[in-house]
Amino acid sequence: MSDPSSINGGAIVAMVGKDCVAIACDMRLGMQALTVSNDFPKIYQYNNTFIGLAGLATDVLTLSEVFRYKVNMYNLREERDIEPETFANLVSSTLYEKRFGPYFVGPIVAGINSKTGKPYICGFDLIGCINFAKDFVVGGTTSHQLFGMCESLWEPDLEPEDLFETISQALMNAQDRDAMSGAGGLVYIITKDKIVKRLLKTRQD
Amino acid sequence: MYAEHFSEPATSHVASAPIEHQFYPYASNGGTILAIAGADYALLAGDTRHITGYSINTRFRPSIHTLENLGGPERAIVVAANGFSADGDALVRRLAQRAEWYTYNHNKPLSVSACARLVQTMLYGKRTFPYYVHTIVAGLDESGRGEVYSFDPVGSYEREQCRAGGSAASLLMPFLDNQVNKKNQYDAATGLPQVATDLPLEETLKLVKDAFSSVTERHIHVGDYLEIKIVTKEGVKVEYFPLKRD
Amino acid sequence: MFLTRSEYDRGVSTFSPEGRLFQVEYAIEAIKLGSTAIGVATAEGVILGVEKRATSVLLESSSIEKIVEIDRHIGAAMSGLTADARTMIDHARVESQNHRLTFDESMKVESVTQSVCDLALRFGEGADGEESVMSRPFGVALLIAGVDENGPQLYHADPSGTFYRYDAKAIGSGSEGAQAELQNEYHSSLTLAEAEQLVLKTLKQVMEEKLDAKNVQLSSVTPEQGFRIYSDDEMKAVVERLEGSEVPLV
Repeated sequence: MSDPSSINGGAIVAMVGKDCVAIACDMRLGMQALTVSNDFPKIYQYNNTFIGLAGLATDVLTLSEVFRYKVNMYNLREERDIEPETFANLVSSTLYEKRFGPYFVGPIVAGINSKTGKPYICGFDLIGCINFAKDFVVGGTTSHQLFGMCESLWEPDLEPEDLFETISQALMNAQDRDAMSGAGGLVYIITKDKIVKRLLKTRQD
Repeated sequence: MYAEHFSEPATSHVASAPIEHQFYPYASNGGTILAIAGADYALLAGDTRHITGYSINTRFRPSIHTLENLGGPERAIVVAANGFSADGDALVRRLAQRAEWYTYNHNKPLSVSACARLVQTMLYGKRTFPYYVHTIVAGLDESGRGEVYSFDPVGSYEREQCRAGGSAASLLMPFLDNQVNKKNQYDAATGLPQVATDLPLEETLKLVKDAFSSVTERHIHVGDYLEIKIVTKEGVKVEYFPLKRD
Repeated sequence: MFLTRSEYDRGVSTFSPEGRLFQVEYAIEAIKLGSTAIGVATAEGVILGVEKRATSVLLESSSIEKIVEIDRHIGAAMSGLTADARTMIDHARVESQNHRLTFDESMKVESVTQSVCDLALRFGEGADGEESVMSRPFGVALLIAGVDENGPQLYHADPSGTFYRYDAKAIGSGSEGAQAELQNEYHSSLTLAEAEQLVLKTLKQVMEEKLDAKNVQLSSVTPEQGFRIYSDDEMKAVVERLEGSEVPLV
């Protein structure tokens, strides 16, 4: 348990639907077995792209600020929003810069490409290797449980409302079987012209 | 004898560094098991892949055992001990023997609850050198209802509606919470939590096959075939279902 | 019996040429010197009753303990060398608790009786490598009463290690007369209250002393309450009822 990536706990998951994507996380912040906060969202929005950061909380906060800095610089230089694919590569190269002293995180990225309208999700390991997934990606201490849930609940071409139900059930039931995550849920449903943010009221134990 | 032909590194025979040998008495043989109890059946399923490390030893090694019992085929008890398969086999064989002795001594069927307590006694008896297994026992009670009991390696046990054990238990368990016990599901009309009801056997079979197919996708220890044993008042039925072999 | 005495009744586990184990037979004889104990099984439960023969007016009759609890659902009445019963009762209690521990269920009455009888023939010199526990057979017989999934039951276990199930059974000095009385009076639709009275009435007939609330002891085993020894007040009440019922008869 002195493993840095499982000190604070957390669950993150993203899914692709029909012309939509969803990204969700739990709300717990812990110090090993002790729950410190039930209001610690792990999803950050940069333009129309979202990143879920699970892992060592200090690295989560640091990286979220690093990405804010870098996306702002991108916006100023390019005078346009960053696309999910571009942001994913930014995440990857940022993580690889610290190849031999890494950030202890396992991020996932979700968004819709503003030009093509295509949903995009991907996951990373702690040094930036990208996992381009067509269906869903998971991360955090709850990844095993999330894999089990997603692999059996997910199906192709879900409409936004069905995608919300699917990702929420996947998240809640997975985090209920992991003591290191839980204490609420946060879900974003992203379509081309609308972003819906929903808070899930869940058991707090 | 031929040692002089080989020049050895100067450090290889330094007397101050003794060569240590250690025997590790346990291994892990992968696989996953799953049990669900219904109103008039109990089901115990497991994949048939047997591994050590990344090697597949065999693709077909059935691991769900049936204990014949007094009182007819409907009183049979199914049991699986997943983990280190040598320990699992030893436990199941000893359990079968104890169950047989019980029927000789008391001239009545061994109930599933008594069998469960016996398993605890046997597991706890090896508290200091445990059987490295996750054990599940299933069968029907006197009234014909399904019963499932699950155990940790040293005998802590509980009766449950459903339980997954083994390598991919962490993948299966939240799915069962959700689909069997209706966890986190609410009634759309009333907003009240849905209550778990007994699933019909056909639905449970679909659920089990789906669950194992999904888990096979994501866990390399699981695959090849699924063996399902179903205890009903007709006795024990066995079903095999192909899983992916990669 | 004593006419056949020979050198074959010296070794405790030596068969006589006629195929008899004299020491065991003598042990069975010893029971006939003991105080009378009676058991009656009904559909509602089992009643055990014993005579408490006070050998001195200075003896505290409440210290005579001839009915004991084996488990919540089983009790036993004894007759003969009651000190020997300690070994058997202790064994039965251990077996019964072990069964609970190992199987999470109460032990069947028959199984408890069997386990007591398993002890009975562990006397003598012992087989090679196996140590024998006792020097002689038990000099006591037990009436084991209990309730399990097969309903209320009464067993009789004797020093030879054989046991039989009875509807009603008497052992001890007054057993012959008592058994005849039970044979006449027993029927399968007895209530527990009727069985209480039958046991008392039978004891009264075979006892030398006049029966009162102090020189007999009753106990019951029922599905509802398990094994229970009657309190002094309850004993007083049932003895009064027995006497009351006799008034119109006289």
